[in-house]
Order: sequence, then structure tokens, then C-alpha cells
Amino acid sequence: MTITVRLDDLLHARRMTLTELAARVDITLANLSILKTGKAKAIRFSTLEAICAALECQPGELLGFDADPPAGQ
Amino acid sequence: MTRSSAQALAVARPVIQALTVLNLLYAAGITLLLASSFFRPDWPWVPLGYDMHAAHPGLPLGLRAIMVIGLVGAAIVHLILRRLLAIVDTVRGGNPFIPDNVRRLQAIAWGVLCIEALRWMVAGISHALSTATQPMHMGGGFSFAPWLSVLLLFVLAGVFTQGARMRDDLEGTV
Repeated sequence: MTITVRLDDLLHARRMTLTELAARVDITLANLSILKTGKAKAIRFSTLEAICAALECQPGELLGFDADPPAGQ
Repeated sequence: MTRSSAQALAVARPVIQALTVLNLLYAAGITLLLASSFFRPDWPWVPLGYDMHAAHPGLPLGLRAIMVIGLVGAAIVHLILRRLLAIVDTVRGGNPFIPDNVRRLQAIAWGVLCIEALRWMVAGISHALSTATQPMHMGGGFSFAPWLSVLLLFVLAGVFTQGARMRDDLEGTV
């Protein structure tokens, strides 16, 4: 079981780079990279709110739940 | 961080390093005295002011034992200072809540307890060697401070355990 982060898809849809998003939401590029690569252990509501506001999306569009993750995770 | 704690942190490293050097010099001095006591008669007892005619017959042996205890104490102090320096460096580095610091604090607590035990040993030997004509009072009397220090250090180790756990939870949080 794993929580997936569909940040890449949303950034592509909004024609935005990770760097631009980092500047808009005032979150470091390092932290956003951690989120994008699935290495984050937790996300603050304030971070989720800022990302959803910048990408004009719902939390459910950004986060997903995979009951059967690929082998190795 | 308060101003006083920031100032304390700034001077901690050089102070600990200076204490380390002093401790090493103390150990070297005790070693020299102990070694020389086997080669020169009445040394260092007479220069230290002991009247060998009025003293307890076991005085040389007892004082040598006290010197050995002093060396053991110096070794423990050295270990304490090394661990304390490592803790200070992690605080200066901005990452003090790590499992290593928990172990260091516990080691320091046990070290302080051992030093207090050694102090009581010295007091016991001194009491045994004391005579009416040549009284000896070494090691000092009972003091709450060392025992409170040991307790405080173990409590602090517990605090750091919780801190390390919280830090671990926080790591990877965006």
C-alpha cells in the first residue's frame, strides 16, 4: 500500500516547472523534489493547501492511494 | 535560543578543550608522582607534608592507591569531556536530537556516578589512614550536587530520546 503523488502530471497539465511551483508556493525546491519522487513521509496541510492553490486542483487530484504498489516499494 | 545559551554555546568548545588539556596535565603529574614514589624514599609523602614517623604504616600504599584512583578518575573525565565536545558540536551543527547524543549523555551520567564512587573510595582510604597524630581528610563529605547531576543527565538523555524520535518523525515531512 502506498500514497502516490501525481505532481508530475499536474505540472505538465498546467505547463509549469517544479522550480516555478517552488517559487509560487514558497516551498523549497528540495522539499518539492522529495514530494515528487515519493520520498516524503508526511505532508503538512499548509503545504497541500499551497500546492492545490497554485495548481488549481483538489487534494484528491494530487494524491492517490495504490493498494498494490510495484515490487520493490 | 536565548542570548545566554547562545553565549554559553560559543565558549563551550574552547572551554572543554582547555579542560581536556588540564585533565591530561593532571594525569601526567599524578603518573609522574606515582612512578617516582617507587624510586625515591619518602617521596612524595615528605614533600607533601606527611610526617612518616607519626603516620599510619600503610600511608605509602594508601596514597599510591589514591593516586591510582586519581588516574582512573582522570580517564573517566577525559571520556566525559570527549563526549560532551561531540554533543556541543552537534548542537552547533543544528542537529542535536540524534541517538548518538542519547548514548553520550547516558555515558556521561554513568561517568559522573563513577567519579562520585571514586571520591568515596578516596574518602574511605583517607579515613583508614588517618591517625590522631597525622589526621587525613581527603575526598570531601557528602554533597547533593553530583547525585543531582547524575539524575539530571539521565533525565536529559530521556528528553533527547524523545527529541530524536520527534525529529525522525519530522524528517521527510514537507
